[in-house]
Amino acid sequence: MLLEVDHVAKRYRKRDGGEVPAVRDVSFTLESGRILAFLGPNGAGKTTTIKMIAGLVRMDGGDVRIEGRSIKGSGRVAIGRLGAVLEGSRNLYWRLTPLENIEYFAGIRGVPRARARERGMRLLRLCGLEGKAGETVQHLSRGMQQLVAICSALVHEPRILLLDEPTLGLDLDAADRIQAQVARLAREEGVGIVLTTHQMDVAEHLSDEVVLLREGAVVLHGLTQEVTRRLGGDSYRFELEREPGQEQLARLTGRGALFDSPRSFRLLLREPRDFYAVLRDIEPIGVLGAGRDTADLATVFRHYVGNGADGEVQP
Amino acid sequence: MIWTALQAELRRELTQMLRYPTELLSEALVTGIIFYGIFLGSSYMAGGSILGSRLSEIIVGYALWTLMLGAIGNMGWGISMEAQNGTLEQVCVGPLSLRAIFALRSLANLLYDLLLTAMALLLIIVLTGHRIDFSLLEIVPFILGIAVSIGIGYLVASVTVLVKRSNQFLNLLQFLLLFLVMTPFTDLKGPLRFIAVIVPAGPQMGVLRHLAIGQSRFPGEAMWLLLAVVNALLWTFAGYVAYGRVHELARSRGSLGHY
Repeated sequence: MLLEVDHVAKRYRKRDGGEVPAVRDVSFTLESGRILAFLGPNGAGKTTTIKMIAGLVRMDGGDVRIEGRSIKGSGRVAIGRLGAVLEGSRNLYWRLTPLENIEYFAGIRGVPRARARERGMRLLRLCGLEGKAGETVQHLSRGMQQLVAICSALVHEPRILLLDEPTLGLDLDAADRIQAQVARLAREEGVGIVLTTHQMDVAEHLSDEVVLLREGAVVLHGLTQEVTRRLGGDSYRFELEREPGQEQLARLTGRGALFDSPRSFRLLLREPRDFYAVLRDIEPIGVLGAGRDTADLATVFRHYVGNGADGEVQP
Repeated sequence: MIWTALQAELRRELTQMLRYPTELLSEALVTGIIFYGIFLGSSYMAGGSILGSRLSEIIVGYALWTLMLGAIGNMGWGISMEAQNGTLEQVCVGPLSLRAIFALRSLANLLYDLLLTAMALLLIIVLTGHRIDFSLLEIVPFILGIAVSIGIGYLVASVTVLVKRSNQFLNLLQFLLLFLVMTPFTDLKGPLRFIAVIVPAGPQMGVLRHLAIGQSRFPGEAMWLLLAVVNALLWTFAGYVAYGRVHELARSRGSLGHY
């Protein structure tokens, strides 16, 4: 197994001496060439888990094994098999060019310069950045910087790549280029990728598996297609005569309703009789249409995050 | 691995220095002006004649002080800049520990600082025609003094990792260091001499002072050289261990890359 995250837990100490659990119990595995979408609302513990895998945050319990080797103790060899692009960080030296950045990060990871240069140029070419190899990073667009950061994280040929919100704040074109590279890395080079994102379309498009976190614990784990297919039967779409009021809106959101427009929404129902409970929630607004629908990852996410549901769909 | 990483650090430093030559030139100019000022000031105070051996002592002391400051500043200021810029965590994800990478970075910085200082001194010597007595023997305490600064650098880095901002602390530290480097602790008598053994670079400066004024042989030379080694080991070890502890604390708090 490429990556084993085994019951990891993390508590942060507060200023008043108390403790707040950031990650309560997270386990999953990842095989070579697979992309795992690691999802959850803000504060669910995604970034803390990613940083525990990368050795940047010390775990209080559990273990992380990379190719069977624990990252605890003298785990630097295991961490050397990782590449990471972290959210909110620039990840690059702005005064250096893309190629110089790649060469530097290769050097501190033990890759000789000639090999780093050769692989760096290849990576930049694959990302369509060969023409930018000599420009300083500070003069590149946000999307290009993110692609360079991914190239820098890949130069030592890691087996696992951790990507924390790789398409956040990027325009459509840049996001598409990053998605294409992520898919290529997994399919052609066999890199195992853990991807966190709030963009459900990105997660649905790229991932083979999905792990959904809520309050530091896994509430859903399964194959992406299986999750959407299996829960699809429970997905309903409602079209209303007029917009719901604040109170009705609060009730529907509490059930995990995902609004496509002010007058139409989708949601997953746990039981068929909940259909009538939804009708009572929207009463007295007229219903233009209601019926079964196909679920997407966003609906599943809303259902589990807003509804308090949990479940396991075995990969 | 270490050699490849050191090469990467040397290249990164050099590239960044050469990319903005005005910064490099102004740094060289300031170093040159200060050295020139020391020469002129010394000549003026001695009524037109150069102070000779005393001047060499001042120059060596000043050179060590600037190099020590550079090494300490690079560790403290460097780590806070990396955290602020968002590269600190990226540097951590790899087979080498941050502690090892910062040691290599210090070494790379020191080599360039040493080169810059030597060039500035050489230029002043050519311009003024004055000679500085600097024997090969002085290299040993000089290097031991720099080793101390790496230890203190680790201590400053520890403070930076904990409190995230150390600029004011670094400002204060440079005056404290100047005091430590310029005070002849080794000349203290009796039990007070123990102070010279434990203050950062105390024995190193004592040995340098004697060597700079032309005393290649002085009482207790071997003992002070040995104490200089002990002092260097003590401070380097203290800094290294302290940084290791603080790094683990920051990992535990999850605050390594926060700023």
